[in-house]
Amino acid sequence: MPSDCLIPGQPVPLPRGPTLQLGSGVYTRNGETRASLLGTPQFHGSTLSIHRVKPHPPAPNSVVVGSVTRLSPQQAVVSITVVDGVPLPPGEDFTGVIRVQDIRATEKDKVRMGDCFRGGDVVKGLVISLGDARSYYITTARNDLGVIFATSEAGGTMEPVSWQEMRCPKTGKVEKRKCAKPEGL
Amino acid sequence: MAQSGFDRRRVNGPSESFQPTFDDGLEESSDLYDNWKLGEARRKRHPGDIRPIFLQTGFIKQANGSAYIETERTKIACAVYGPRQSKSSSYHETGRLSVEVKFAPFSSLVRKVPIRDAEDRSIANLVHQALASSVRLDTLPKSVIDIFVTVIECDGIESCVAAATVAASTSLAKAGVEMLGLVVSCAGAVVGEDVWLDPNEEEARLASGMLLCACMPALGVTTSVWQTGRVLPAKALLSLQLCQDRCSDIHQIVALALHED
Repeated sequence: MPSDCLIPGQPVPLPRGPTLQLGSGVYTRNGETRASLLGTPQFHGSTLSIHRVKPHPPAPNSVVVGSVTRLSPQQAVVSITVVDGVPLPPGEDFTGVIRVQDIRATEKDKVRMGDCFRGGDVVKGLVISLGDARSYYITTARNDLGVIFATSEAGGTMEPVSWQEMRCPKTGKVEKRKCAKPEGL
Repeated sequence: MAQSGFDRRRVNGPSESFQPTFDDGLEESSDLYDNWKLGEARRKRHPGDIRPIFLQTGFIKQANGSAYIETERTKIACAVYGPRQSKSSSYHETGRLSVEVKFAPFSSLVRKVPIRDAEDRSIANLVHQALASSVRLDTLPKSVIDIFVTVIECDGIESCVAAATVAASTSLAKAGVEMLGLVVSCAGAVVGEDVWLDPNEEEARLASGMLLCACMPALGVTTSVWQTGRVLPAKALLSLQLCQDRCSDIHQIVALALHED
């Protein structure tokens, strides 16, 4: 381990100059900046933080990926397995909820849950709030958010044809989904 | 798979047998304080000495963070999981720590029945109290961090709690949980006019009172003090001071163990 690795509680050596913004992994107490994680402090622009790639619980504005476990006309329950690109350990998934008004940005009152998600779909979403005790609230109201993987009734992996339709390559049948815009398109 | 000449109806042990030999040092330690009288000096150690500490991190692979601590005959394993989604049905703005202490059935001289009893829970409370103010729980809304402490061998309850606190804090640092500082802990026993640090089971029995102190030497902050038995205020303050001095040494050991890998 490098010698400039800090342990929790150790003061962070600060360079002279303008005051810094503190990111994650550092805190100020009695005017002194200290580390709160084990690691090496790094600068990202003017933000000082100790970064660790580790699974962490969802927070507002994190991008999450999960699979739909339960559907009702009002909401879809999602089991979150990836938070900000970091997969969670097996069996330690968080529960999220996509309410019907959070599925898309326009014509919210015309949305039918059955035309947007099915059980088992893998959905990419954005956490909008910590929600209630049981679940985080997720939205898919953005072009790049929505279903990213789904299987058809015939069992084939479907491909998106428009932002609200997916086609099964086996049967050619079109099913309705709120699709995420594929990356790099 | 059938073996030729293998008779299932007979004892298939080796033809020779030997008595098991035990070298547990029990005989030696049990008569260490046999004809000890109040006012005599501590045997085999100076009053301010603690037992040597072995601390290793990351030996439980599936845990987010783990530590193993051994001080002579006290052996404790600790694993940290989480942050996980809280199971409870109420909303919590801050995260919570859940500490569970388990004694191995063979951890003490008398067999411990493997059920949760009152002692486990009171020790878990002490460890929780020592750690709670060090973890930045405000950064983990709605989550819970699980700390599992397994006492493999126990030699003196108070020093066992102290070692468990050190192991748990090390595991938390290893798991990448944000905390204000590392918590280390030390126990002191008041025996006559002396204060014996890190007492083992027998020394604890001779003591009139005990003081357990947990602190964050990096910040110079005490997180928890626990006193049992009869201790004069002057003695309590003295043992608090001695424990805090020794804690900065233990802090060095923890820092070294964290830097090692």
